[in-house]
Amino acid sequence: MKTKGMAFVVSLLLVLLLAACSTDSASEGGSSDGENVNETGELTIAVVPKLVGIPYFNASEAGAIKAGEELGVNVIYTGPTEADASQQVSVIEDLISRGVDVIAVAPNDSDSLTPVLERAREEGILVMDWDTPADPNVVDLSVNQIDDFEFGEAMIDKLVASMGTEAGEIALLTGGLSAANLNTWLDAVEEVVADKYPDLTIIQERIATNERQQEAYQITLDLLRANPELKGILAVSTPAPLGAAQAVQERDLQDSVSVVGSALPTDSGPFLEDGSLDAAILWNPEHLGYLTVYLAKELAAGNMPQNGDVIAGEIGPISVDGKKVIMGPPTNFVADNYQDYDF
Amino acid sequence: MKLLKTIRLSKENTLGFVLLGMFLLMALFVPNFLSAGNIKNMMFQLPEFGILSLAMMVVIITSGIDLSLTYRAALSGVIIAMALSAGAAIPVAIMFGLLAAVLCGLLNGFFIAIVGVSPILITLGSMILFESISLGLTKGNSVSGFPPEYRVIGNGAVGAVPISLLIFLLVAVITAMLLNRTKWGRGVYMAGSNPVATLFSGINTKRVLLLVYLYGALLTCVAAVIMTSRYNSARVDLGSSYLLQSVAAAVLGGTNIQGGYGKVIGTVYAVGIFQLISSGLNLLGTPRTFVSVLMGVILILVLMMNYYYDKLADKKETAGAAA
Repeated sequence: MKTKGMAFVVSLLLVLLLAACSTDSASEGGSSDGENVNETGELTIAVVPKLVGIPYFNASEAGAIKAGEELGVNVIYTGPTEADASQQVSVIEDLISRGVDVIAVAPNDSDSLTPVLERAREEGILVMDWDTPADPNVVDLSVNQIDDFEFGEAMIDKLVASMGTEAGEIALLTGGLSAANLNTWLDAVEEVVADKYPDLTIIQERIATNERQQEAYQITLDLLRANPELKGILAVSTPAPLGAAQAVQERDLQDSVSVVGSALPTDSGPFLEDGSLDAAILWNPEHLGYLTVYLAKELAAGNMPQNGDVIAGEIGPISVDGKKVIMGPPTNFVADNYQDYDF
Repeated sequence: MKLLKTIRLSKENTLGFVLLGMFLLMALFVPNFLSAGNIKNMMFQLPEFGILSLAMMVVIITSGIDLSLTYRAALSGVIIAMALSAGAAIPVAIMFGLLAAVLCGLLNGFFIAIVGVSPILITLGSMILFESISLGLTKGNSVSGFPPEYRVIGNGAVGAVPISLLIFLLVAVITAMLLNRTKWGRGVYMAGSNPVATLFSGINTKRVLLLVYLYGALLTCVAAVIMTSRYNSARVDLGSSYLLQSVAAAVLGGTNIQGGYGKVIGTVYAVGIFQLISSGLNLLGTPRTFVSVLMGVILILVLMMNYYYDKLADKKETAGAAA
């Protein structure tokens, strides 16, 4: 009996100790996670990614934190540890309790966020989305990295250019069939193929890789074996192009099979070097994080962004259509330039 | 035996004191913790997780595990959502969802109870099956567009108490009564501690197990209704992060992962503790990844303590028997 009680007391103390440590580090750590936000007079902007702890969202965190330091605003960057809509709702509910001034969210599922974002607005919090659009009725501003159609078109154009022919078989790999933004890009790709490259044949449907490089690799190996005529692979989601390129590399098919997809430059480096990945096309996630915080600060001051604005000397020119802001054209990362980026 | 029983009861009571202590400490030290907004958040966030944890607990008591839990909830939610957006009345839509959940439960129950395959294998398979069905039905998109009355279930409140919390309390009471006051409930514990002996003492273990999986299915449907209503949509990965958390909550609540023991009140306390940690640390601005780390640490500590505690209890029992 007694030992049991003691053990619980000890564990409770441990928990408190850990909690205490974390509070200390939070208050010392500064902008990434502030203590009670109501006590400070400055503006507090919460940026919520789809999930924390993956390279893409780490890069946008770096941009958001940098913007916070440069612009003198308090930035809280927090999100669920899994890309799960219900966890994201809880995170936003907690942010409302903390009394932040602006919430910018990259929704895992836009519909499921509508009630909680409505509540945030009722509490007088400005609501934005970034990276992926939320319900347009509940946001004051929508920050998009890219025009979805333009991005899809850029990827398929690049793939055709790398293949060197407008005829032949191609395959489409995707991170997951339930990811809205990936679906929109592939819709665009399919539309462009139908209009512009009628001689291209897309084999199978969109092939899901579960956001895993290993699965993309396995699937591509199977595809290459089953379809010797395959000329190109277009892969969306950041791990998928790497897996596809890895398979092409292993089979030594760099010259006969082109791979183009959305991937981060540092990860793509080894595959870009030997041509197993022909190009990685993406935007700069650091810039996206920076832009989100910048626009949030402006929004709180009552300023709407203007078409053609260039932020911090290097982001943009942005294009603005009502509440919708588009950061700019995509960036091509190829063998020659990938070393210039650190994400 | 009597000694053992009093000690074991105190397992849950201690957990209750831990919960109370944490609440008081957070009320004292965490800014905004007692604000109306935060209390409301916690009351709205807890029910869906609580109900799923109870569903998991019932299965774990029979020394099983249900990996298909959240995907069954998602499938049931998707069916409800599709029926609602096709214009079905709310009770009809919920009946469809219930039917889907029960069929899923029947599938799991058939293979586990009647055929006798190990639960972890069957539910791993059915997890993928249910996920694929949802994916096929929705094509990966979320289904929304519910009548406003439906949103009341997950977002409405009677006075200050959310309707969903009332549903959770009701589910907890019913589950406790079923487990403690019925023949089936005793069968559940017995089948969990020693299925062979249970069978030979004249209890139809197949029936008991099948009903366990059906009851689990019923609870997931209730959770699905609350979730779809609260989030105003259903999709294939609805609530998927609750899967292992529900195992954690059941185990933290004192349920023996090898089966045979587990109490509703323990799981309810455990769910409350998880909620306090999550809300409290978020208010403090602790990074979410650290919150997960902390939950892992707590779980390991509790498991270790339970292990040594049971060992101690065994020793005492043998000593008592010898004397």
